[in-house]
Amino acid sequence: MNNNLVEMKNIKKNFGKVQALRGVDFNIGRREIVGLLGDNGAGKSTLIKILVGYEKADEGEIYFEGKKVFFNSPKEAREMGIETVYQDLALVNLLPIWRNFFLGRELVKGAFLSIDEMKKITYEYLKEIGIFIRSPEETVFFLSGGERQAIAIARAMYFGAKLLILDEPTAALSVGETKKVLEHVMRVKEKGVSVIFITHNIYHVYEVADRLVILEKGVKVGDFKKEDVTPQEIMGMIARAAGVIV
Amino acid sequence: MEVKSIGSFKELSKIFKIKEMGAIIGFVVIFIVFSILSPEFISWGNLLSTFTMAAELGIVAIGITMLMISGEFDLSVGSTFAVVPMVLALSINNKINPFLGFIFGIFLGAFIGYLNGIVTLKTEIPSFITTLGSMMFLRGILLAITGGFPIMLQEDIPFLKYFGGVCIGGLRYSGIWFIILAIIFAFILERTKFGNWTFATGGNLLASKALGINTNKVKLMNFIICSFMAGLAGITTFARFKIIDPTLGQGMELEAIASAVIGGTFLSGGYGSIIGTFLGAFMIGMVRSGLVLAGAPAYWYRAFIGIVLIIAAIINTKIRKKTAG
Repeated sequence: MNNNLVEMKNIKKNFGKVQALRGVDFNIGRREIVGLLGDNGAGKSTLIKILVGYEKADEGEIYFEGKKVFFNSPKEAREMGIETVYQDLALVNLLPIWRNFFLGRELVKGAFLSIDEMKKITYEYLKEIGIFIRSPEETVFFLSGGERQAIAIARAMYFGAKLLILDEPTAALSVGETKKVLEHVMRVKEKGVSVIFITHNIYHVYEVADRLVILEKGVKVGDFKKEDVTPQEIMGMIARAAGVIV
Repeated sequence: MEVKSIGSFKELSKIFKIKEMGAIIGFVVIFIVFSILSPEFISWGNLLSTFTMAAELGIVAIGITMLMISGEFDLSVGSTFAVVPMVLALSINNKINPFLGFIFGIFLGAFIGYLNGIVTLKTEIPSFITTLGSMMFLRGILLAITGGFPIMLQEDIPFLKYFGGVCIGGLRYSGIWFIILAIIFAFILERTKFGNWTFATGGNLLASKALGINTNKVKLMNFIICSFMAGLAGITTFARFKIIDPTLGQGMELEAIASAVIGGTFLSGGYGSIIGTFLGAFMIGMVRSGLVLAGAPAYWYRAFIGIVLIIAAIINTKIRKKTAG
């Protein structure tokens, strides 16, 4: 077969009478950054939820590294190396960085947490991939939105992600912070990880994406290599599909 | 020189960033005020008996702190505090093996927590409501069974000494239990996976779920811990008085919550400290004995606690903004 990391074939999903996905094919290559675009309600998040096991597809098949897979829960997907970073659900603001970094995957010695070791790894790993924090003990609340995204991305990387799914990672960020997050996304790719970048904003993803996929009303309406398309054309396509005349 | 003074300022501000700083300041202030008002306050005898009083409340407050950090609430601790020793007293008076009665009482305490938790988590009613209901239900059962009369222990049960008896001087075993349990739960909270998950569950429920933490299990466990501790605390009080009144523990839920809040725990979950609660309960004990020694009528106690609670909450909010936002 071919060398895609993920292949989703003919995915269909209905919620009652609403056809959220009407037979979508969606592939992600190795070391590829795919921008997944579309208006609200286009089916982006449903497609991703099916991929990571939050929802079950009514029809269709999913292949991961060439093998047919079926995830019952996000936990199972994570064990295979599919990590998702949600916009608001990534970190616990009241906890320090190191506790967030290892949350749910704590290092222990017997019954007790290996606190010093976790602090050290957190600090050093973040430094290694270019994220500088003052101290791993700093509470997440004091970090900027961009820093939080960066830490959540770093965490996924550290725990061996093969595919990183970013849900609107730049939606709430300033221009400068967006730029930084995009740099981190590029670095993720350099490490051999594939990325799905979900967004409304073509200008955020265009810079880093290899390929752009556009969904509209549960149908894939476009699948382009970046070289073959301009951001304006993509914008027009999303707007037209949503019924706006451009 | 300049550099050095900046360095020491940093050190100082680091100290002020300790979660329990508000509780420590409050503790020292109350201690000094009552020492001035009454010299007898700082006698060993008084401090130890104050600590014993604090212990019975404090054991309840430790449990409630765990539960509050995980984002839930328990108003039924005051009722559990009475029901558990009542079961023990009735067992002993009905010639059932006292040790068996003890085991049964403790088990019942944990079971009350289990029910509070299951009902709250399965039906998604706020725990405030569930436990308000169980508080009234349990108190009603208690009054119905006893007819409103106190129950006296009819025989001497040696092992009860290790719960409420005198250890050394004015220090009772309940004080020892309080210290041991505070240390154990401080460790559980700060240094185990379960503690980490407790903070995370109360701090950001959906993020915790997304990271694969079984938040319902964490909450249920804390409901059980909370009621278990309330029952155990009830036994220490019973072991001290050898008599149990069906109104025992009324209003205790609010004092336990006050101890936790004075100690820096958030009402909204995700943040708190067992050491803070320890100091909070001790503070409430100091206010109680301090006012008596200062010659104030007993009625002033609640008024004073109310003021302490509000001031502590204000200080804690300010400190929190520096430590946790």
